[in-house]
Amino acid sequence: MNEQLMLLVALQDLDTMIRETQDKVHAEKLSTMGFALEGVDDLKTAREELAGSIDVALLHRYERISQRLGRAVVPITSNICLGCFAVIPTAYTSVENRDKILYCENCGRILYWPRGT
Amino acid sequence: MNRQELFTLFSEDLFIPSLKAKDRDGVLQEMVDHAAAAGVIRDRDVILGMLKNRESLGSTGLGEGVAFPHGRSLAIPSLMALFARSEKGVEYGAIDGKPVHLFFMFIAPPIEKENRYLPALGQVVELIRDAGTREQLLEVAGYEQFRQIILGDGEESE
Repeated sequence: MNEQLMLLVALQDLDTMIRETQDKVHAEKLSTMGFALEGVDDLKTAREELAGSIDVALLHRYERISQRLGRAVVPITSNICLGCFAVIPTAYTSVENRDKILYCENCGRILYWPRGT
Repeated sequence: MNRQELFTLFSEDLFIPSLKAKDRDGVLQEMVDHAAAAGVIRDRDVILGMLKNRESLGSTGLGEGVAFPHGRSLAIPSLMALFARSEKGVEYGAIDGKPVHLFFMFIAPPIEKENRYLPALGQVVELIRDAGTREQLLEVAGYEQFRQIILGDGEESE
């Protein structure tokens, strides 16, 4: 996978974890099970470090889409963008394009072509 | 979620009766590699990074020799559960400081239609509170035996 795209996927996973930790209902459920969620500041530091290794223009695009649509990076399944369910252009499916950062023509989200598909 | 529903999340492909790794990161890597070899995760490095970040939030080793590494990632298409056992035990930074022998790993996609991730995690945490169940799992040798323990060995489930 494109290294920058892999970093974006990792960043989104981290953002999901931070968001859930700060969600009272979610945090309470985990706390009831016995899980301590004390290291949010460590997660935020890790997030800053990870964000610092991503191309600035790409990171800004990620942040803009995240604010507008919630999830900025979405997987492609059966040639469909799982953000808006639009069919992706046939050209996107070529082997050389699978290592590029591609955007959904319909919703603008960053497309993630999972390994092995 | 009842025991039968919980058990449907496990599979023999995701059952490790004897871990080789001797430390926390090694265990996480061995479990993720096992799941990758079984074809259930899309990018092992992304999943491994997510699990390590989750541990920095607070250890998922809840004591009594059991840990529940878990989290959500875009690099998995559907909820998966993996069980692993370490005979010697692993220093995992558990909240009681004891070595961990039993691992239940749950990884879910960011959005899940059936919303089974937290109920499954909660159910297994509840099951493991029983000392007898933990003792049985410490001796588990095969998947059929694991199945019987999770299902309550023929007891009424709920």
